[in-house]
Amino acid sequence: MEEKRIGVYICWCGSNIAKMIDVGRIAKETQKFSNVVMARDYKYMCSDPGQETLISDIKKYKLNRIVVAACSPRLHEPTFRKALEQAGMNPYLFQMANIREQDSWVHIDREYATLKALSLIKAAVSRVYHHKPLEKRSVEVNPATLIIGGGISGISAALEIANAGKQVYLVEKSDALGGITARLDLSFPFLESVRQMLKPKIQQVQAHKLIDVFLNPTFEDITGYVGNFKSKIRQNGPEKELLFGNIIVATGLQAFNPEVIPEYGYGKLPDVITSLEMEEMLMRGNVITSNGKEPENIAIIHCVGSRNSKYHPYCSRTCCSTALKYANQLRSMLPDSNIYELYADMRTFGKGCEEFYSDSSRRKILFLMFDQEEGLPNISKAPQNDSSEMIINMHEKLSGEEIEIPADMVILMTAMEAQNDAKDIARLTGISLCSNDFYIEKHPKLDPVATTTDGVYIVGTCQSPKDIVESIAQAKAAAARVLASIAVVNMEVEVTTAHVNEDVCCGCQTCIMVCPYTAIHFDEEKKVSVVNEALCKGCGTCGSTCPTGAIESRHFTDIQILSQIEGLLKSEKESI
Amino acid sequence: MSKETKNKPKLKLAIYWGAACGGCCISVLDVHEKLFDVVAVADLVFWPIALDVKYADVEAMENGFIDVTLYNGAVRNSENEHMAKLLRQKSKILIAYGSCAHLGGIPGLANFHNKEEIFERVYHTSESTVNKERVEPVTSYKVAEGTLSLPEFFNDVRALDQVVDVDYYLPGCPPQTERFVEVFMAIVTNASLPPNGSVVGATEKAQCDECQRKKTDNKRIKQFKRLVEVIDDGETCFLEQGIICMGPATRSGCGYRCIEGNSPCQGCYGPPSTSPDPGAKMMSAIATMIDSNDPDEIIKIVEQIEDPAGTFYRFSLPGSILRRKLIETQT
Repeated sequence: MEEKRIGVYICWCGSNIAKMIDVGRIAKETQKFSNVVMARDYKYMCSDPGQETLISDIKKYKLNRIVVAACSPRLHEPTFRKALEQAGMNPYLFQMANIREQDSWVHIDREYATLKALSLIKAAVSRVYHHKPLEKRSVEVNPATLIIGGGISGISAALEIANAGKQVYLVEKSDALGGITARLDLSFPFLESVRQMLKPKIQQVQAHKLIDVFLNPTFEDITGYVGNFKSKIRQNGPEKELLFGNIIVATGLQAFNPEVIPEYGYGKLPDVITSLEMEEMLMRGNVITSNGKEPENIAIIHCVGSRNSKYHPYCSRTCCSTALKYANQLRSMLPDSNIYELYADMRTFGKGCEEFYSDSSRRKILFLMFDQEEGLPNISKAPQNDSSEMIINMHEKLSGEEIEIPADMVILMTAMEAQNDAKDIARLTGISLCSNDFYIEKHPKLDPVATTTDGVYIVGTCQSPKDIVESIAQAKAAAARVLASIAVVNMEVEVTTAHVNEDVCCGCQTCIMVCPYTAIHFDEEKKVSVVNEALCKGCGTCGSTCPTGAIESRHFTDIQILSQIEGLLKSEKESI
Repeated sequence: MSKETKNKPKLKLAIYWGAACGGCCISVLDVHEKLFDVVAVADLVFWPIALDVKYADVEAMENGFIDVTLYNGAVRNSENEHMAKLLRQKSKILIAYGSCAHLGGIPGLANFHNKEEIFERVYHTSESTVNKERVEPVTSYKVAEGTLSLPEFFNDVRALDQVVDVDYYLPGCPPQTERFVEVFMAIVTNASLPPNGSVVGATEKAQCDECQRKKTDNKRIKQFKRLVEVIDDGETCFLEQGIICMGPATRSGCGYRCIEGNSPCQGCYGPPSTSPDPGAKMMSAIATMIDSNDPDEIIKIVEQIEDPAGTFYRFSLPGSILRRKLIETQT
């Protein structure tokens, strides 16, 4: 076995570390650790001269393992790994000890902080002893893209990618494109026809040479990894194999079913309808009650299933503006009617929407506020001789009064919720769900359309409730990400992956279920689990799950972690 | 027996029990008529269960006089320790025989307590004890005839290799007799022996590799059950029925006798070489199988596990990373 020659470099980080930690003493003490050939302290290890010292020492003292005790590895691990590569070393024969964020910055006792630094360095030295060189790998990216969902988001992304000359497979589970957008009459706040906007887009998709549309298909498991996914699809004919490099999930939303809210009587009172049922009426051009009459009193109730801990805690974000849209349309269609907006909070954000609200407030629409915590408005059938069909009882928050509102028609602004099959699609594509079953983005601010699975993007309302504008913006953002990855041609993949030792794996299959990236499958012939290393992100879940110890998480092996712990505890004992 | 082995000088074999139940010695006796084959090629020079040989006789032997010693049982007291050191000195090959010598075994579970607690329970609070004078064992006691002595009871139970260097480990509670015969014959016939420190008489793979029950990746547990609480179809993986089976964390080689008898593996053969701590490994695996994301429900499900320490560390506590319950030292 090769002799381990470890170099340890202790950074002052100006005074950031040196002020609280006796770096000179540490360097002297560290020199005594077994296998440490060279230990130095230096003002700024990350500076050019700092890195040059490291590189020249590696050559001069034939160092083959390096520890830098400095800041967080999140900051400078890449810097020092690069320096190792420049010196001809494998970049993974390196370990950082964080003596800044985890030590000098958080302690006020210099002696204690110095001893702690020594422990952290001893842990790093014990660990780096067991490091193994790892090789970088890359995969070729297939230029085709699979888009799941043919609503406005999926359509927008498809056109963006296909117009750039790349193949798109667009899969829609229903038998028509357009999604929920196709069921809307006008858009807010400018009251333009959705159909006029959507129809040409659908026609473009259908006519596009580079877009293959699959309606209502049967769809097999997606296998593979970023750059090289594979699936089989069947749509009234023979099965077709699809190969693609990226996936855009645009599966959209479903409307909340208000039957579960007893106060609203939906399903029992025929003239209590949902917003989507209202859209249908508006598209047909006649708004009538179940008796075939024009309604005299119309109530629009906001936040149905939204912002309520019993149903969905989140805001569905489009209902307030949509409710205003109905009020405006109804005001024009039925100029003599009484229109009531029963809202919990008016949330008309977005370009032109607040203006839309203030314009609407001048159009003889009565706004009444309720508090979801104190109780929902209650709808009941009116007594027989009453002038209206229904009575709504509510506590009006602003006046503090208990009031009765007559209603011949009630429109429930139902929440947007995740599709029933959101979990299936998540499993199919290897992405995760939040507690509300919307898909989770890689970073809520910095990476809003990517997911933690490379090559899988999420756009539109499957990620969270949003309007058409936002959905299209996301679709185009994801399309740009996909096109960028296709332009790269070869993509670097994770090296700190999991690996199954086939001589030990007993085939219990405990690991398969826990893998969040569906990177593990069971080889029926060999009776062992197999990790697809291109798909593996090195999260380590399988390694810690494996009861046999057959799975090794590269760069986080048992021996590496246990040695690190041992180093940490031993040095503490010795130095006290 | 071949002529070749007959003409060789006989091997000198010793068998000793430390903190043991006697089952390991019985497993040697279980060779039945093969015992004649054994004694044809080996002289038993020391075996307290079967032969009247005194410790002084062993002390009188030259170093390395014994060819092979099978040491079974854990090291619980000073007598066990003394004999472990003595037999190491006198033996060319020292084999840790059985779970207790290998990893500490059942007596090793006492490491969840310390000496004081054990004495309190055994000599004072146990239901069948009447001990008004609070008599406890002492290491020496003067009587008219002279001084009587008893071995010292340690705080820790240790596996054999935590006391002396061990050449091979033959795991099991007890080791399967056939495996013992195989290993013994390999030594007798001078077959090439594995490197020092190897586990012999067991395979690298875990129990599931041999287990014929149907296994899938669908190991989701909503309720942990004891064997009596299910109607076992004899075919489905125990874990998939909510019954804790140490199989995936345990070496095979025993012929998966328990599982064939429709009882889950308890882990006596110890972990594969890749696993530093079978209890921790198995707990980690079990944790991923619990089918809930609700913290309160998870706690309820976990509480259904009867005796988790004794389940996951039944045979391996002293030899595990955990080793024992923390003893609070005065600072």
